Amino acid sequence: MKHLKAINNKAQLLTQAVADDSVEEVVAMSSLAGCTATTDPGWEIDAFGGVTSLCQPMEADLYGCADPCWWPAQVPDMMNTYPDWNKDAMNSKDDWRNLGTVFPKDKN
Amino acid sequence: MDNKRFTSLIPAAALVLGTTLSGAVLAKGPALKEGSEYMIVANYPNNMHVIDLQSDSLYKSCDLPDAFGPGVTQMAPDGKTAYILNNRYEDIYGINLDNCDITFHAKMSLQKNERTKSIFSFTLSPDGSELYAVQNPTMLNRDHYRVQPARLAVYDTSAGLDAKPVRTFPSPRQVTVMQTGADGTLYMAGADIYKVDVNTGEVGVAIPSRNWERPLYAPPDVLNAWPIQAPSKDFTILYTTAKFQDESYNLDTADWIYGFMNINLETGETETTDFGPITEIYFSGVRSPKDPNLVFGVLNRLAKYDIEKKELIAAAELDHSYYCVAINHEGSKIYLGGTFNDVAIYDADSMEKLGNIQLPGGDMAISTSQVFIR
Repeated sequence: MKHLKAINNKAQLLTQAVADDSVEEVVAMSSLAGCTATTDPGWEIDAFGGVTSLCQPMEADLYGCADPCWWPAQVPDMMNTYPDWNKDAMNSKDDWRNLGTVFPKDKN
Repeated sequence: MDNKRFTSLIPAAALVLGTTLSGAVLAKGPALKEGSEYMIVANYPNNMHVIDLQSDSLYKSCDLPDAFGPGVTQMAPDGKTAYILNNRYEDIYGINLDNCDITFHAKMSLQKNERTKSIFSFTLSPDGSELYAVQNPTMLNRDHYRVQPARLAVYDTSAGLDAKPVRTFPSPRQVTVMQTGADGTLYMAGADIYKVDVNTGEVGVAIPSRNWERPLYAPPDVLNAWPIQAPSKDFTILYTTAKFQDESYNLDTADWIYGFMNINLETGETETTDFGPITEIYFSGVRSPKDPNLVFGVLNRLAKYDIEKKELIAAAELDHSYYCVAINHEGSKIYLGGTFNDVAIYDADSMEKLGNIQLPGGDMAISTSQVFIR
């Protein structure tokens, strides 16, 4: 933390946690509040540095990975925020064209 | 074998429905037959399908309430009630497969402003009278969320449609798949494979996983999303790891290994066994009830290993990836489910493809298939 200066409340809490030696109290979330809370990179290379052990075709893996936020950057969070993202695409291999992009709604 | 034979066994109604409608037309079909072997699978948008493993055809379909996902299933020991974690990981339902009635419902969230998910983590007592779920609550406050401690909730399966826990205990975090032993011990896969006394909540370690101490081995990498109720009564969890040549811990010369942690649910015996080199990835695995020396793994291929020899015996190319492997009680046929909306059938001996069963409805995604005898 030598080269970082906390400038907002959240960052100051982090600095304080380090100072109080209470970092160990920070735990990973077993259940995500939204996909922004995961650091999983999504569509990755496989364990061998290639792609042959990724699912084939990609659609086979789509809902199994969108459901639990395994592809957080690439597809919407179906667990909490956009549960109906695939309502017009129950069969991913046939209906994938019906999957669209999503945008956060304005807060009124 | 000719695939057409199996295609022709699919009931006409399923063919007419194609893949665009739910199984509503087939709902409340015939009761299951005593002594017959079936497999359940669930898929989008709201289906629980029962497949007859004698004819390898769709036997009936039941409608599920609320939203789909993840579709993790457990069969009650009576071979009649199927339980499913659904509604975006937030509710568990029990379905009487004879008449498709919903007989059990438990919301994982226990209070207002609490959003609780169960990450594949539920199972039943050996007599089916209790259901165990590890729940991960988050309090949704107006200006911030607050992660709550994980808890193990115990339900009475006769509690009906508004079931509340009869006991709750603190639980280790990051628990996924679970099974119970014949003596009632609850086994939960998390950082380690825990064993839990469901009456006192006491947690011990059945098999160390993240904390294993195997000289020259790297810590294991484990994926646990399919609580397969194997006919062999094994609770089998695959891992990958590296075994170093010596204490220089040189990754360049290490052996890369597949293995499994296994609990014999009849005896409680545990083992951690390497079964071969890593040549590809498997998402789920199952041991043969016919020959305990055989283990099958699946993702982009269906592979069969000789555990003692640590050798890949045979592998079958698949039409697409399948997540979840199941095997019949005779150990003669392998059923591949999950991902899309077809179940692929393979001969466990020859590894030849026997056919596909097309399901009404959409993707199975990360759902579990369970084989059982009524």
